[in-house]
Amino acid sequence: MSFRYGLRTFALELLMIAVALAFLFPVYALVTLSLKDPQQIAASPLSPPTSPTFGNFGDAWERASFGSALLNSTLITVTSVVLLIAVGSFAAYFIARRRTGLGYGMYVLFLLGIVLPFQLGMIPLFKLVDDAGLLGTYQGMVIFYTGIQLPFTIFLYTGFIRALPSEYADAALIDGAGHMRAFTQVVFPLLRPITGTVLILNAVFIWNDFFTPLLYLGGSAKETIPVRIFSFVGQYVSEYGLVFAGLVLAALPILAIFLVLQKYVIKGFSSGLKG
Amino acid sequence: MLPPWWFAVPALLVYAVVVLYPTGTGIVYAFTDWTGIGDWSFVGFDNFTKLWDDDAARGSVVNTLLLTIAIVVVQNGVGLLLALGVHTHIKSRALLRVIFFAPAVVSPVMVAFLWKYVYNPKPGEGLNGLLGAIGLGSWRQDWLGDPDLALWSVAFMVVWQFAGYSMVIFLAGLESVPDNLHEAAMIDGAGRWQRFRHVTWPLLAPAVTVNVMLSTIGGLKLFDQVYAATNGGPGYASETLSTVLYKQAFVFGNYGYSTAIALVLALFVSAISLVQVQILRGREVTAG
Amino acid sequence: MTIDNLSRRGFLVLTGGAAAMAALTACGGSGSGDDSLRLVGVADQQKPLDELTKAYGKVKFNASYAPTDQVQTSVRTQLGAGNAPDIHVVFPGNGSAMSMAQIAKANLLADLSDQEWTKKIPDNFKPAFQSGGKTCFYSAGASVIGAIYNKKVFTDAGITAMPTTWPEFLAVCEKIKQSGKIPIALGAQTPWITQLITYALVPSTVYAKDPDFDKKMADGKASFATSGWADAFAMYLDLQKRGYFNDNPNGTTFEQQTSMVATGEAGMAIQVSAVLPDFRKAAKNADDLSMFPVPGGDTADSGWIPAGIVVGLGVSARSKKLDQAKAFIEFLGEQKNINAWAEAVACVPLVQDSSSKIDPALDSFLPFLKNDKAVPFMDQAWPNAEVQPAHFAAVQELLGGKTTIPEALKKLDDTYRKG
Repeated sequence: MSFRYGLRTFALELLMIAVALAFLFPVYALVTLSLKDPQQIAASPLSPPTSPTFGNFGDAWERASFGSALLNSTLITVTSVVLLIAVGSFAAYFIARRRTGLGYGMYVLFLLGIVLPFQLGMIPLFKLVDDAGLLGTYQGMVIFYTGIQLPFTIFLYTGFIRALPSEYADAALIDGAGHMRAFTQVVFPLLRPITGTVLILNAVFIWNDFFTPLLYLGGSAKETIPVRIFSFVGQYVSEYGLVFAGLVLAALPILAIFLVLQKYVIKGFSSGLKG
Repeated sequence: MLPPWWFAVPALLVYAVVVLYPTGTGIVYAFTDWTGIGDWSFVGFDNFTKLWDDDAARGSVVNTLLLTIAIVVVQNGVGLLLALGVHTHIKSRALLRVIFFAPAVVSPVMVAFLWKYVYNPKPGEGLNGLLGAIGLGSWRQDWLGDPDLALWSVAFMVVWQFAGYSMVIFLAGLESVPDNLHEAAMIDGAGRWQRFRHVTWPLLAPAVTVNVMLSTIGGLKLFDQVYAATNGGPGYASETLSTVLYKQAFVFGNYGYSTAIALVLALFVSAISLVQVQILRGREVTAG
Repeated sequence: MTIDNLSRRGFLVLTGGAAAMAALTACGGSGSGDDSLRLVGVADQQKPLDELTKAYGKVKFNASYAPTDQVQTSVRTQLGAGNAPDIHVVFPGNGSAMSMAQIAKANLLADLSDQEWTKKIPDNFKPAFQSGGKTCFYSAGASVIGAIYNKKVFTDAGITAMPTTWPEFLAVCEKIKQSGKIPIALGAQTPWITQLITYALVPSTVYAKDPDFDKKMADGKASFATSGWADAFAMYLDLQKRGYFNDNPNGTTFEQQTSMVATGEAGMAIQVSAVLPDFRKAAKNADDLSMFPVPGGDTADSGWIPAGIVVGLGVSARSKKLDQAKAFIEFLGEQKNINAWAEAVACVPLVQDSSSKIDPALDSFLPFLKNDKAVPFMDQAWPNAEVQPAHFAAVQELLGGKTTIPEALKKLDDTYRKG
């Protein structure tokens, strides 16, 4: 059945565009605020900028040492995400293939991680990282993120793997391949869509995380972007123009990645929903 | 044909070190009077009895539940509608997907900072200004200053940020409904609403499960947005369990008591999640 | 989809993680063990500290600044875990989780009493600096709470002289209202703003009549409910009743309050002098703004003002670089550096000499300080960290009509007695 773009569809298109415009209001606010100097923000924060200043972006970049913060954020995010995918997919494969007993027990154990409030373990974990000499290091942050995002990662991967027929892997095993090769060469490539999902959702979380980098990296040269941007927010003196300009700069890389991965993200969720 | 045990070892190791061990150790503090710094001593179950008598904490439970219900219902409702609207043949659907998802990409605390500008109570500014400009001036409110409205204003902000997230999950569910099922139904003479009810909706059950579970857990634990937008105010009008927990630990210096609250919150969330999983997974059906 | 492609891809992912970690370890290096001092401050301290750490050539600093809430949380966590920064932010006196008294109680602040500058701390400010007789806190000076006002709005309303009594203050507000502007901009949505008007009035209604009020409270011989606090709250709400605040104060933020005064939409805001730089940045002309003390008394002589030590620094008692950290504090205690810090945050220097430059906006406050008619901010004397937030919430509820003055005062008393 071929499709005709009729009047009804056009009306729907207009409606959705109107909704999108309403949705965009806060984004408009963000961009507008980033283009104003303190006087303009005081006078009328959300009116369209009549004389936009791009100075905020330059200032934010310089004063937040944005270049080095960008490097730090990227290093930590990329490494953590790669590890999460590597470690999480293996564990999820194990859990998904054993539906009862050990597999189920482990599944519940990891789900606990999504439910537990972060505050419970915060101080003991900090002590642990400190004793291990990993404060102020990239490794410390990567291990931290891998640990706390594993439950979510495994939650997503397990559902998707359960939907895959086991014939492919079994065929490879019968042919004499070891479990490692069966997984990496047969199963994992089929997981590309969910891997895209895991990638973008974890990347967004890690990229924007503020408190733990403050706690573990504060004062070092390895501070991430959110830590640097927040340093513009004081109690008495806040430079919101800089903050929002910094936010725009920080959001651009992640949005770019989302655009690229968009196809994988949606496909990933769809296949991940069976069982 | 089952994968070997060592497939799961790296994950278990990291998880045990980063989450299980510290949490287990941290739970001990729920039975002490620790302020967070200095010395402490065991107080048995005192913190828990104190929690039982604590009016502020009990009131916050109501807020937490209301907030969660609002978020789960509205965010997923809007997400579903957006998904249905975008899962059509309109020309701008690719761009629209990005626009609706984009807010989820910004840090929640910053979203709260931004929305404080939007929620300016002055008639000519922000949301009130927008309402006035399109002739809905009578809808203007004191969004964050009105104690009856503050919590819902925060809920609205959260829904705005994550409706696109829910939309993406629903979209995936919609795209997994085979076209031939739709066509078969249409040939059988079913109208749009009937097609939705009998073909689309049952096959969306897995997407509903994921969305409802994630938004419930997220709503019950919601902290950053509430704290940054209202700090639990005006007065105590928008306090949730998470804001109470945080204030007890880091503002009042009652760390042991706060850990007890965190433990109760964790049990609460686990119980609700378990019930949810049972109910929702019962509904799921595969397309065969 | 050849086998070669698949194996390459699969192994890349697996080894990618390991390789990345190895690479990071190589270029990351260890986090500690170098010779720099770790310093954590609130964002408001960044300006003076950037200057001063640069001027102090003897040691390198790893400095980090963040908003007050987050710094409180992170430094407290680090204190609790036994690894606090060598030098970190500390709030004066008592009354909050990161206040000098609370941290000193846990024996986590180094004793600075042997440093020269500590001998010059004025007597009435000593409680802010000392715990158990030992000075363990450094601050560059005191800020005052008063009315930051827009000169143009005042002259347009026909006001020629600053009010020196409460009735005169009300008259001034009325004149501004008649001229079509908002007399007092109030941003009560931001919690710490709520306390400022109370703090501006309580010195006159309570301490002018009973200077030992704090001691009496601590001994249980006085309470909020039976004191001039009730008068202060009544005056606060009276301003609202007369329509001298903007609409919806509970929904108006600190930033919105600032912009109202800076743009001339409102006549004044009751504020702490530390925010003068921010107000000036938002105004078209920085000279449009100045400050005057809020007259809480019935006669010109009976008014007292609040003057509080500004947020400062402490040295961690467990620091492994104790001597270097203390040396930096000694450096900060030199007169010229006290002057520099005070100038950067628009406060009155702790100790003054001929080269001290005090912001002209603060001139009208100096006589009060000289004549001992100044009281530290009230929370610095409170025994626990719950009273101040209770005060914030009480004001918001009072402004919103959700509670009464007696109920609010009772709540404050109950929280105070938690000890």
